[in-house]
Amino acid sequence: MKMEEGSVSSLDNSKLEGMAQDILSELVEDACLGLCFEVHRAVKQGYFFLDDTDQESMRDFEIVDQPGLDVFGQVYNQWKNKECVCPNCSRSIAASRFAPHLEKCLGMGRNSSRIANRRIVTGNNTNNKSESDQEDNDDVNDNDWSYGAEKKAKKRKSDKVNILLTLCCCYCYFFYFNE
Amino acid sequence: MSKDYQMKAAINQKLIEMGERERLKELLRAKLVESGWKDQLKAHCKDVIREKGLEHVTVEDLVTEVTPKGRALVPDSVKKELLQRIRAFLAQHAAL
Repeated sequence: MKMEEGSVSSLDNSKLEGMAQDILSELVEDACLGLCFEVHRAVKQGYFFLDDTDQESMRDFEIVDQPGLDVFGQVYNQWKNKECVCPNCSRSIAASRFAPHLEKCLGMGRNSSRIANRRIVTGNNTNNKSESDQEDNDDVNDNDWSYGAEKKAKKRKSDKVNILLTLCCCYCYFFYFNE
Repeated sequence: MSKDYQMKAAINQKLIEMGERERLKELLRAKLVESGWKDQLKAHCKDVIREKGLEHVTVEDLVTEVTPKGRALVPDSVKKELLQRIRAFLAQHAAL
C-alpha cells in the first residue's frame, strides 16, 4: 500500500510537516502565555522585583541563630507562664492546660462523652466541686493513646509467651529426632 | 480544505486524550528553562514593566510585547527535538 501511494505520500508528508509545525507553534505560544501570566501575577502581588534588593537590605532578613529566639528573631516561649481566664467557669488556668480544660469544661471533647458515660454508669452525683476534682484526675489519665497502648502491651506479652513456648517445643522435638 | 481542518482537529483531540500534549508541554517548558529562554524573556519583561509603569501594566501589554520575542528566541535545538517527537506521534496516529 505504501508503494502505490508513493507520489501522494510526499504531499501528505508536507501536510504532516505543516501540522507538526502548527502544533509546535501552539505549544510555544502556550509557554509564552504561561510566562506572561506568571510575570503579571508576580508584578501585581509585588514579588517580581524581589531578587533585585541590594546586599545591605538583604542583611535585615538573615536567619537569626540565637538561643531563646526563633529564626525571625521573635521570642517564642513567652506564653509559657501566662494564665488565662476560662469563660465558662471563670477559673484562672495555665496556658498550656487551657485547651484540655476547655474541652472538659464545655463538654465538647472526645473524653467528655466518655467521662459522662462513666458517670452515668457509676451513678455519681455531680456537683461543681466533684466535677473539678474528677477533671484533674482525668487530665492525668488523659491520653487516648495509653488506652490502646495498654491493650497492645498485654497482647505483646501473651504473644511473647506463645512464641517462647513454641520455640521450646521445637527444640525438644529436634533433640528427640537427633537422638 | 475542510478535510485538513477535520484531520487537524482529530489529531489535536488524540494528542490531548492520550496525554501526549501535556507531556510535550512539560518537555518544552523544561527545555526552555534549561536553555535560559525563560530568564532572557523575564529580563525583557522587566524592561516592558519599567517602560509601562509597575502599577499600570496589564496582561495584554505583556502578551503583545513578549510573545513575538518569545517565539523568536526559542533555540533551534529545542525546536528540533519537539518536532521530532511530534512527527513520531503523527506517524503513529495520523490516519491517512
